[in-house]
Amino acid sequence: MDQTLGNFIKALRNSEVRVSSMEAVDAHHVVDLVGYRDRDMLKNSLALVLPKTPEEKAIYDYTFDRFFEFRKLDEQGADQLDDTFSAENIVPSLSDELGEGAMGEGGGGGGQGCAVQGGGEGEGIPDITDAVETADKNTELQLSSLSRMLLSGDRNALALAMAEAGDAVGVRNIRIFTQKGLFSRRIMEHMGLKALNNDVNSLKKKANPDTKELAERLRKGRNYLMQQVRDYVEQQFMLHADVDGSQLREEVLSQVRLTNIERRDFRQVQIMVHKMAKRLIALHSRRRKIYNRGQLDIRKTMAKNHAYDGVPFDVRWKAVKVDRPKVIAICDVSGSVATVANFMLMFLYSLNEVMPNVRSFAFSARLGEVTDLFAEGNVEDAMTKTLHEWGQGSTDYGQSLNDFADIALNDIDSRTTVIMLGDARSNYGDPGSEIMKKIYDRAKWVMWLNPEEKNTWNYADSVMRKFTPYCHQVQVCNSLFHLERIVSSVLRSAS
Amino acid sequence: MTVAKTSFDTDGRMDSIDKIHAGFEELGYITSAQIATSIYLARHLAKPLLVEGPPGVGKTELAVATAKFLDLPLVRMQCYEGLDESKALYEWKYGKQLLYTQILRETLGEVLQGAKGLGESMDRLHQFSDVFFSEQFVEERPLLKALRAESGSVLLIDELDKADQEFEAFLLELLSDYQITIPEIGTVKAKVPPVVFLTSNNTRELSDALKRRCLHLYIPFPGTELENKIIAARVPDVSETLRKELVAFVQELRSQDLKKLPAVSETIDWARTLVLLHATTLSQDMVRDTLNVILKFQDDIETVEAELTTLTNEALKSASLPAGAS
Repeated sequence: MDQTLGNFIKALRNSEVRVSSMEAVDAHHVVDLVGYRDRDMLKNSLALVLPKTPEEKAIYDYTFDRFFEFRKLDEQGADQLDDTFSAENIVPSLSDELGEGAMGEGGGGGGQGCAVQGGGEGEGIPDITDAVETADKNTELQLSSLSRMLLSGDRNALALAMAEAGDAVGVRNIRIFTQKGLFSRRIMEHMGLKALNNDVNSLKKKANPDTKELAERLRKGRNYLMQQVRDYVEQQFMLHADVDGSQLREEVLSQVRLTNIERRDFRQVQIMVHKMAKRLIALHSRRRKIYNRGQLDIRKTMAKNHAYDGVPFDVRWKAVKVDRPKVIAICDVSGSVATVANFMLMFLYSLNEVMPNVRSFAFSARLGEVTDLFAEGNVEDAMTKTLHEWGQGSTDYGQSLNDFADIALNDIDSRTTVIMLGDARSNYGDPGSEIMKKIYDRAKWVMWLNPEEKNTWNYADSVMRKFTPYCHQVQVCNSLFHLERIVSSVLRSAS
Repeated sequence: MTVAKTSFDTDGRMDSIDKIHAGFEELGYITSAQIATSIYLARHLAKPLLVEGPPGVGKTELAVATAKFLDLPLVRMQCYEGLDESKALYEWKYGKQLLYTQILRETLGEVLQGAKGLGESMDRLHQFSDVFFSEQFVEERPLLKALRAESGSVLLIDELDKADQEFEAFLLELLSDYQITIPEIGTVKAKVPPVVFLTSNNTRELSDALKRRCLHLYIPFPGTELENKIIAARVPDVSETLRKELVAFVQELRSQDLKKLPAVSETIDWARTLVLLHATTLSQDMVRDTLNVILKFQDDIETVEAELTTLTNEALKSASLPAGAS
């Protein structure tokens, strides 16, 4: 198996392009056919096999460019690193600033040091610039191979050594960003940081001004190397780990209380809501009919077989059509409940495909319909407007339910699911439970979602107990995880 | 590893991507590098090609051009809701079966003559059991036709997203093995695997199982340069200045917030319209009068009319710039 392609596919999977093993096999066929010679052709070809949606294509383009990034090599380096494509070589191009001041001298002779094959300590380096050699003699000090490499300014060898060290310490297994420092350190150590430090220290101790300068050069070289290693690790992290990190984050976010989610995570949560919605759509868009095999639909069978002289060749069975649910969401948008309302409405409207008939109402002191605001698309704007318009004043359940009865009570029928979201804290006012009863009587299903934990219900001004008798289902709802389960149950109950 | 090859060899026409590119250009279909590569791979990997993209970018046209390019018959199947096996694959010719049983009634009598009892009659009948469910009574529908074509064919399954999910599943056998199983006859395997195109307008997500079996090509709206080439190939009568201007205008339109963005087919229609009207350069009045060719919603037309001056001026400006400068 082609290791490079395998790594590339792994990187793609990490960036959330779903590549099945069958597609991976196809990709190998493609590479067999077109080869690695022509980069554009390879990109175009793999683009047909691996990503299968427009979004995935965009990710693919980005990943491909990063993965198969060419390093500009000088002539001598080129034949040494013939398989430029291999993942090991996507080290950041060692920029020309390498020669900054101190390294200038050594950099001049860099080309000659290309024979170095890797970062293995003690390997012979045939030609180092005269400057280094004289320095060597002057100080009567055996420099480590890493120091020699730094002094000679051989970027290819450095890059190669870095990649090898990276392999050796398993930088591909990097998972979360806090590991970056660890891996940088490990790579440095594997490349011979200790010996380098020793060199610097012992050079510094000598009184000779030449060696002092050499020590200074080495020190700068070390800093430069650290920067390079950090970049390298950073890049490996982007390619191999980002997703595992975000997967972890998603897992955490789906469990955390919605009211505690920080503003900076909102976008992430929004993306997650969309993902969850997509999953639910995939799950529920399919079963639209349930066939009762065994129960003959006589009318349809007769109609179908009319052409065959009424001989029932083609038998039709009775089927139950699964209705698209009609959902009415009534949300308390005061205080802490607002965040939960926000995400729930976001969720409901992301399900447009399988739940086209969602009406939403928002209230605190008074109630109003906000369906149009949310149906238009931009949920963030809609929420801001909703809060501005209906989120003022102290919560009054009685008044709000009255308002609701005026607007929409007559629209509730036996196919409607009513989702009520609120903490049932009516500031000691009339909770309006008699209207709740009317809703309960008319609707197919009434669900009360309370963002508070169960043990605080009915505490202080919470009047949950007055509403509970008029709900088919009462549930705590304060995380994405809850939301998904609830919405899924709404979709299921529609059958 | 050996790549399965379709056995019809097209005298080297499919050898390289450049040849495909040139060949399609002769037929008036301008391919981007991505599209040419997709045809090349579809042929050499013998895999179906799923083409997605906004309406009017030439998805169907691609299959038609490929059929012409390869000199193969095009079998087209338009999908719609409720499409089923009997319309897509095969059907028994019921009328013919009925007619034959009537005509053969006497023969049947002869066959059964002398048979003692029901059991023996049945046994005799069983010897002829499948006579009425044989090849002669099969009505070929597009899929079967494409599989049975002697020298191969180009099969176009158009707008697959319009068909039901079940139909998609039904296609899987055809797409992965180029064969189809008919219970009464057995498995029909393609003599020469057809070149299969599936198109979708993305009205719904196609299943992963289907996508896995196909190469996936997404055709976006073309860029200025490519669209210029397309118009030049399809409407050769249009003058160069006008062509550049109208392409620039359409490109400008696509960046607007419209219900339905104009596609390539609309640009082509518009170019033809302007040629008929003997236009040599784009003028505001001309654009206003012909706006209904490129925009298909009254709302869109109203939105654009309000900004017609700016749009036209910008189009004229960017068209007069040398290529690549914008």
